[in-house]
Amino acid sequence: MINNSHRYVLFLLGIVVSFFASAQTSDDLIPKDAVTVFSVNNTSLLKKISMDSIIQYEFMEEVQSEMFDGSADNKTLKDAGVDFNQKLNVFYGRNGNYEVSGFTFGISSLKDLLRVFDDFDKTKSPVDGIEYYNSYFNHLILKGNAGLVLRVDPSYEKVKHVTDSIWRARGNGYVIDDKAKSEEEGMDEGDEGDDIDKILKDGELDEDDSETKLDPKAVQIKTYWELKDSVTSVLQARYLNAILVEMFEKNIHLKNQDVRFNDMLTHTCEGTFYLDNSRNFQYAKGFWYFQTMFPELFKDIKALYSGNVVIGDIFLKENAISVKFEAHYGKDLGKIYQKLNSTKFDKSVLNYIHEDCAGFFTYNVNLKEGYKQAYDIIIPMLSKERDPRVTTNVLKAELLNEFLNTDAIFETYQGSMFGTFNGIKKVKTKKIEFSYDENTFEYKEKEIEGEEEMPMFTVGFSTGRADIPEKILSYMSKMTSRFKNMGKYWKIDDAVFNSIPVYVMAGNNGLLVITNDEDLAINHTNGYGIKSLSGKKAKSAKKSKFMYAYVNIGEVLNKIPKQVFTAKQNEILDAMRGKEGFVELTTEKTTADHTNFDINYFFQGNYKDSGIYLLDLINSAYVLAK
Amino acid sequence: MVSCVDIVDDIYIKSDGTGTFKYSVNLSASKVKVNSILALDSLDGRKVPSIPEIKEKINRYKEIFSQKEGMSNVKVESDFTNFIFKFQCDFESVIHLQKALKDFVLEESKNKNFKDLETNWLDWEMNKLTRSIPSITIDFTSKLKKEDAEALKTGKYVCISRFEKLVDKVENSSALISPNKQAVMIKTTPYALIQNLKLLENTIYLTENKKP
Repeated sequence: MINNSHRYVLFLLGIVVSFFASAQTSDDLIPKDAVTVFSVNNTSLLKKISMDSIIQYEFMEEVQSEMFDGSADNKTLKDAGVDFNQKLNVFYGRNGNYEVSGFTFGISSLKDLLRVFDDFDKTKSPVDGIEYYNSYFNHLILKGNAGLVLRVDPSYEKVKHVTDSIWRARGNGYVIDDKAKSEEEGMDEGDEGDDIDKILKDGELDEDDSETKLDPKAVQIKTYWELKDSVTSVLQARYLNAILVEMFEKNIHLKNQDVRFNDMLTHTCEGTFYLDNSRNFQYAKGFWYFQTMFPELFKDIKALYSGNVVIGDIFLKENAISVKFEAHYGKDLGKIYQKLNSTKFDKSVLNYIHEDCAGFFTYNVNLKEGYKQAYDIIIPMLSKERDPRVTTNVLKAELLNEFLNTDAIFETYQGSMFGTFNGIKKVKTKKIEFSYDENTFEYKEKEIEGEEEMPMFTVGFSTGRADIPEKILSYMSKMTSRFKNMGKYWKIDDAVFNSIPVYVMAGNNGLLVITNDEDLAINHTNGYGIKSLSGKKAKSAKKSKFMYAYVNIGEVLNKIPKQVFTAKQNEILDAMRGKEGFVELTTEKTTADHTNFDINYFFQGNYKDSGIYLLDLINSAYVLAK
Repeated sequence: MVSCVDIVDDIYIKSDGTGTFKYSVNLSASKVKVNSILALDSLDGRKVPSIPEIKEKINRYKEIFSQKEGMSNVKVESDFTNFIFKFQCDFESVIHLQKALKDFVLEESKNKNFKDLETNWLDWEMNKLTRSIPSITIDFTSKLKKEDAEALKTGKYVCISRFEKLVDKVENSSALISPNKQAVMIKTTPYALIQNLKLLENTIYLTENKKP
């Protein structure tokens, strides 16, 4: 039997893939603590993929069956009471006290909707003006013609802090609540309870317990773990209540708190996403110690990350899926990024990309300028800290900066690079064979040449000091016979998986090129010449500022041997293998406050439309996961 | 993919029933694939052991086997460049050898219900050796992915029986008797063996005479 959470996941899956639409009400139900929001503009999408074609898919049959309690009974998603004229918004967020997750949607028929959410019980609402339903940890909140499914979980740190305060105030010792350790050791609750019983002592309940409003008598007889469960439950109710008050009494929600998010909701596209990295950073679990030990430094780093928000639009076009996103950042980070990107496209890399190359990327950064700018911003920030560990590290960084020849380092490794996939080729390997004496059947080992198919890759780095890698290779060749100077290039035997040689070309056209493609090293040491990348793709790479990537999906998937992937990956990839198309990533100039990225997935060959293409993929993944 | 694995199963039985058993696994033709797997942390949800961990396990197995009754001169050669592993031991009788192998499998395997362990794969009477191979030899192959099982078609499995005395005749028609009449060899592929374990079943009759 499928449990409730599974049913809601299926419900969500159903409405996500059906792509709902835009009145404003569902947008007003997103809590301000949401840091990630994915919105689907149903009206726009349903013009491109009809609901009738969506519900034909195999994955939809089960979604609908689960939504209507085991039997679809000729009912489809269209009968779920969802208003397809409003957007669907899926969100997740966290702050110092709790995590919040859920989704918002429009309602066309409350009666039909409640048949889907039939295990939610209507209860008295903590605030006025809403209808309120509960099912274990999930809450369904209805306001007007919009619904919010909400879950609030107090953070582990907060629950532990409150529980420990109460526990110790009662005269008990410190409890090692090593969550990760107990998970690793596979301890069940019973084991934990037994351990805690041993250290449980009687204690008086003092004023600290009032924080969670727990029953003092109940608290006295609880084990640490029972107390922790009670604290979790009380905090959960408290935080939920605070969110509801904030949203429905004070009218505070993400849309009216973040102008960029509000603006994003007006975009005319099929879907949007919002990611507030600055808040993600602020509340990241790993930063708790950092925040406690170095509060001033944390404040400065937080300021550095302020305004770090990614906003993206998803367009479903006739022959493509297009994703456009803007990465926003604050003033100081913007200065570093601008310096990093203050470089020209290194045209010589085009010479090492074959015109028929199925996949490649180019990456242009000025590492020297970026390093200097980052040094000027971050070192003063760290220097203010008086902690001996930070001070020692700052001193080390400053001394290294003074003593090392940073010009030589950044001339050698300038930062710009490229990479290519050169297809699959047969490479010679050595293998051992047992050979048998014809008279006695005694056997001995004999080395013979073998062949294996290998994907060929090339990476190259812009360099102004090719003499330095040349020097390193030269010294290495004196230490081991695996490094061989072949004149125009270096050969390093058994470099890949102890079996395949790697070739290094240092200094040609101001590039350090490393490849396992013997043909490139021997026959095209100076590049592919007239066979090198030119035309539209070359122009796009030059035009795209700090990064460009191109992958011919059909060709790459056809060329890479199936053995490279697991059986499961192959089953999903099989859905794409018959299709043709390419993915292109382009970027625009980095400004002081943002950089734009575009990812376009163009379909070619035999297909009806991009929506069907996408649904085919989703269906393949679903059938595979069954 | 080229030949993936080359296995040689070689037993030498002297007239008094003592002898030497050798088992060699040659993965050199698949060393790129083996190296690429060793570079991973896990594969299909199972942890991939590191080379030091494999070495440690091999040494432990060697120690355990050395302590088995009737076993001596236990040697293991491991070549982690070409991935060739050779096991060799001397035995007092084929009964000792079988018991040592059975005990070892039962002690080291999580599965304690090998029905096949009740049967004997080696039976030595004066001038007659009856041999087969236990199904546990190929048990692991049932978990192989289809394409990996297919690749075993290019592998080799060679079963050799050697004697002090001369071979008179053999029952398995695929078996070759060496020109010096002191060895019998059956060649097959691991894939064929998975399909039919009886391919290596054989009864070998010896003459009374040792080689002049």
